Amino acid sequence: MVYYITTILVYAGVDAMACLGLSQQFGIAGVTNFGFIIFQAAGAYTAGVLSLPPDSANGGFQSYVLGWNLPFPLPWIGAAIVGALVSVPFAGVVGRRLRGDFAAVALLVTAVMFNLLVTNFVPLFNGAAGLSLVPAPLQSAVNPQSGAYQWGYGAAAILLALGVYWFVNRITESPYGRTLRAMRDNDAVADSLGKDLRALRTSSLVIGGAIAGLSGGVLVGFINLWDPQAWGYAETVVLFAAVIIGGSGNHRGAMLGALLVPVAFEEATRYIPPVAGNPNLVPALQWVVIGLLIVAFLWFRPQGVLPERRRRLATRAPSADAEAALPNPAAGGLDAPAGGLDAPAGGLDALAPPVDRGRLPHAAGGSAVPERTAAPILQCRDLVREFDGVRVVDGVSMAFERGRLTGIIGPNGAGKSTVLAMLAGTLEPTDGRVLLDGEDITGLPAFRRARRGLVRTFQLASEFKRLTVLENLLSAIPDQRGETLLGAVRGRRFWGAQEREAIERAQAMLERFGLLGIADRYAGDLSGGQRRLVEIMRALMAQPRVLLLDEPMAGVHPRLAHQIGMSLVSLCQEGMTIVMVEHELSIMDEFCDPVFVLAEGRVLASGTMAQLRATEEVVEAYLVG
Amino acid sequence: MSAEVSANGAAARPGLALATEDLVAGYGHSPVVHGVSISVSPGEVVSIVGPNGSGKSTLLKAIVGVVRTFSGRVTVGGRDVTGWPSDAIARIGVGYVPQVDDVFAPLTVRENLEMGGYLLASRQLRERIEHVLSIFPQLGRMLSRRAGRLSGGERKMLAMGRALMLAPALVVLDEPTANLAPILATAVLRDHVRRLAETGASVLVVEQRARAVLEISDRTYVLGGGRLQMEGTPDRLAESSAFVESFLGGGRAA
Amino acid sequence: MSLFVESVGFGFVTASVLALASVGFTLQFAVTNVLNLAYAAVMTVSMYAAYMLNERGVSIWLSAPAAIAAGALISVALNGLVYTPFKRRGSSPIAMVIVSLGMTLILEFGTQAVAGPTNVSYSFSQGATVRAGSFDLTVVQLLLIAISLVIMAAVHVLIRHTKLGKAMRATAANPDLARNCGIRTSRVVAATWLISGALCGLAGLAFGINSGTFGATSTDLFLVLILAAVFLGGPGEPYGAMLGALVIGVATEASASVIVSDYKDVIAFLILLAMMTVRPQGLFGARV
Repeated sequence: MVYYITTILVYAGVDAMACLGLSQQFGIAGVTNFGFIIFQAAGAYTAGVLSLPPDSANGGFQSYVLGWNLPFPLPWIGAAIVGALVSVPFAGVVGRRLRGDFAAVALLVTAVMFNLLVTNFVPLFNGAAGLSLVPAPLQSAVNPQSGAYQWGYGAAAILLALGVYWFVNRITESPYGRTLRAMRDNDAVADSLGKDLRALRTSSLVIGGAIAGLSGGVLVGFINLWDPQAWGYAETVVLFAAVIIGGSGNHRGAMLGALLVPVAFEEATRYIPPVAGNPNLVPALQWVVIGLLIVAFLWFRPQGVLPERRRRLATRAPSADAEAALPNPAAGGLDAPAGGLDAPAGGLDALAPPVDRGRLPHAAGGSAVPERTAAPILQCRDLVREFDGVRVVDGVSMAFERGRLTGIIGPNGAGKSTVLAMLAGTLEPTDGRVLLDGEDITGLPAFRRARRGLVRTFQLASEFKRLTVLENLLSAIPDQRGETLLGAVRGRRFWGAQEREAIERAQAMLERFGLLGIADRYAGDLSGGQRRLVEIMRALMAQPRVLLLDEPMAGVHPRLAHQIGMSLVSLCQEGMTIVMVEHELSIMDEFCDPVFVLAEGRVLASGTMAQLRATEEVVEAYLVG
Repeated sequence: MSAEVSANGAAARPGLALATEDLVAGYGHSPVVHGVSISVSPGEVVSIVGPNGSGKSTLLKAIVGVVRTFSGRVTVGGRDVTGWPSDAIARIGVGYVPQVDDVFAPLTVRENLEMGGYLLASRQLRERIEHVLSIFPQLGRMLSRRAGRLSGGERKMLAMGRALMLAPALVVLDEPTANLAPILATAVLRDHVRRLAETGASVLVVEQRARAVLEISDRTYVLGGGRLQMEGTPDRLAESSAFVESFLGGGRAA
Repeated sequence: MSLFVESVGFGFVTASVLALASVGFTLQFAVTNVLNLAYAAVMTVSMYAAYMLNERGVSIWLSAPAAIAAGALISVALNGLVYTPFKRRGSSPIAMVIVSLGMTLILEFGTQAVAGPTNVSYSFSQGATVRAGSFDLTVVQLLLIAISLVIMAAVHVLIRHTKLGKAMRATAANPDLARNCGIRTSRVVAATWLISGALCGLAGLAFGINSGTFGATSTDLFLVLILAAVFLGGPGEPYGAMLGALVIGVATEASASVIVSDYKDVIAFLILLAMMTVRPQGLFGARV
């Protein structure tokens, strides 16, 4: 009986650790690593050959390498290290811009192949027979068969699992964890924000590999044998089932899943009496039920029993007046009464000097700026971009002055977004130059330009859906201490102060735009207009000197568009330079000066909207299309 | 300037090739088209113009069943087809030429036409192909070429030919000249679209190039901000300053 | 050298079985955009369906319809009852892969629950060994090659010259436009799964014939070969799958004469990994 309970304890600990490692990769970082089981197998093997005596011993009936007969805890440490090392080549497969399901299949196939190699390669792995007579840790000191030893082992397994839980939690509830989740939600945007995807995925794999390896070492020390059949394709699926059922993205869910699936379920079926004449029936049906559970959970409750918890980071609540100015999310649009804009603290008007809400005097942008430097902060010269022989942008030269809100308009296909992309660095020009502060930045990729203060927003939805609004804003801050694995490991004491400051800044930004009340909402749950604002705010968190906006008002209710326009103007008055590509010409009327008109890849004219409307060519361009 | 729309009862008249009544449509939860009523009489060429983001494409897509209709009605030849799936709408005689992905790229020109005539019996199919080739003879020289290898103008021609295979009473075109060079664009409108009309079908075309499409239209609607801003014959509209305004004024309440 | 030549001969046989399987798999991907990893499991069920007749004394060739029918029906059910509902919900491609793995467990171990864990084999006579060119193959092996060639020709005729085949290609290329032509794409998709399912069933039978003995999990490794052939030719490209099957079939068997035969399938794995890294759309596919 003692053996039975202690065996369950050890398996529970081992499975919990494995599930935690997987949960961290799959649930948090979004890496579907079907090769996971290999890390555990590798760790177990390492622990085995490190603790075994040389293979000539025991009559030399099995062959393997090393055999250093190392004392506890070295084999376990070795197991973790090897688990981590084995995971590194996997980063190469996962990192590529490959369709998610293709990459997952590549990893699955890798696992199958590894199993094949291992069961056949005798000199290294002793083939299908595996390794037996693996020494138990501390067996020379305490009798492994004794009750005390068994209980000790069980306790050690559980304690280690709890330790792993503490560790995984530490690194997940940190800026590093947040960045992993951002990568999971939208890796392209995370990339453009300057996050090193490769390093993130590799570190995630390495952590998972080390944990898996360790769990393998613990297991092999207990059952004293290493059987490659125990680490097959089906076992990988069981671990995934456990994490999905328990709750991916939630570490307690992972442990729950470990208890429910590999432990409880497999134990429970042990009690079903074997059916006469078909002794294999119950074990086979066990697998069928696991398959059914996977499909059922993915259909009825894909978030698992314990879904991912929302991180509530906000420390401030919005003031009552600001609340009144909040857009009504249920309506989808924004029916905020005009009076909301006059709210004191937290209202938009408090920040901008009194402005005539109708037409802005054209010099408004200029007069508030302390000094008008002659040199433009951003310019492009003779930009050209060709696609399949067609010149979408055909020699565009523009200069953007400091502290101005400049607009770029033009009919469809004029090349506006393409020009913006080249200014931002997300698209390479075929010819021409881009200069920031007089310096040629044409060769710099987007995230480097971002670091120099040139930031862009995207036209299509690019918020991180399963991060809260506040987390979305925080993710845009460059060079956070807690964003690397090491930083996360060093804990809150290391990155806490900087994080608190960042949260303050983010909350101030939310308040400025009247959205403090939704700080802790998932960004994916917001209305279209709110998401637009989050997008802009996120760009602002990077404290840009020049902000490039790509159709920020698309599909946005007129009132909100107006609010956004007002905020942009106030930002310009504080010295920011903003360039906005837009279709909504009324916005241009109110807020932009100057405005460039592009048509068929060239600059047609520039000036104020009133001047442009009076220009024959501009009118024609719009009508001719 | 207020919209001059036909009386509401018009939608029920079986004489119309197409009519929409207070159509509200869009994606997900937000409508892009807000209560638009238009009509097309048999044999007419009707165009819809307007600035970008005015909902022109969405309106077309709602009519042919590609985009969700929230409320309102769509009738084709007097039949209520509101909310019908796109294959059903194609079957009752509506030919649709989308703006992008308008041909089956890996299939040959001939196979594209065959797909257009999928619902036909084989003899009818052969006859229809002959007929379409007589309207667009250039296609006859490219029958074994893969559609993906055609130039922009040739593709559009194929897309239109494909739409004609079922002898539709109504042909709907979404910005047929998008992504085409200006000279080609004029050719497509003046020539290809005109030929469509000459087959006797009614034509509803959405276009960005307002001046060009006005030349070939019997009537034009101007859309802005998802709503009908104006309607009239090309002559009257071209003279109207409000027409020009609606393009450059952004289509919103000033 | 003759060992090498002999193994190439075996390679053609493997390629024949692989071709039947890969073409079916790739057709399913073409119209549904889902990697149906349960495909090998459906092969298993079909294999056993024929076995049930065969062990009662029915000739293996007359048991073939059982395998074909099982493959076709289960595949249609799989798509209609499982994949389509999940897709309609907007499930991610990864979720679909995990679902297909779940279905694999259900189908394979369900079969094992009924049939038992011991390996079985078909009873049939291999026939005399015949000299074909420089290869020594049995009558049955030659028959497998012949059947495969006939089926490949039939698939070619289907997709190039029949209305349904062209509709399949059209639906795969541009489902929205296909609907605008009045094509009922849901029916085309169901027909595709029926036909590819029949191929799957036939492939299962051929696999069982070619394998000697088999069990409920014997096709697991074969799935790797199928994936390698499909990705080599390009996912969704039937002619690519045929070429891929030929290359993978011959390469794996030929490599057995050079390296230890236990590892012969490794070359398929390496080719698959290389394709995914360098050119995921395969040899015949258009750039993704």
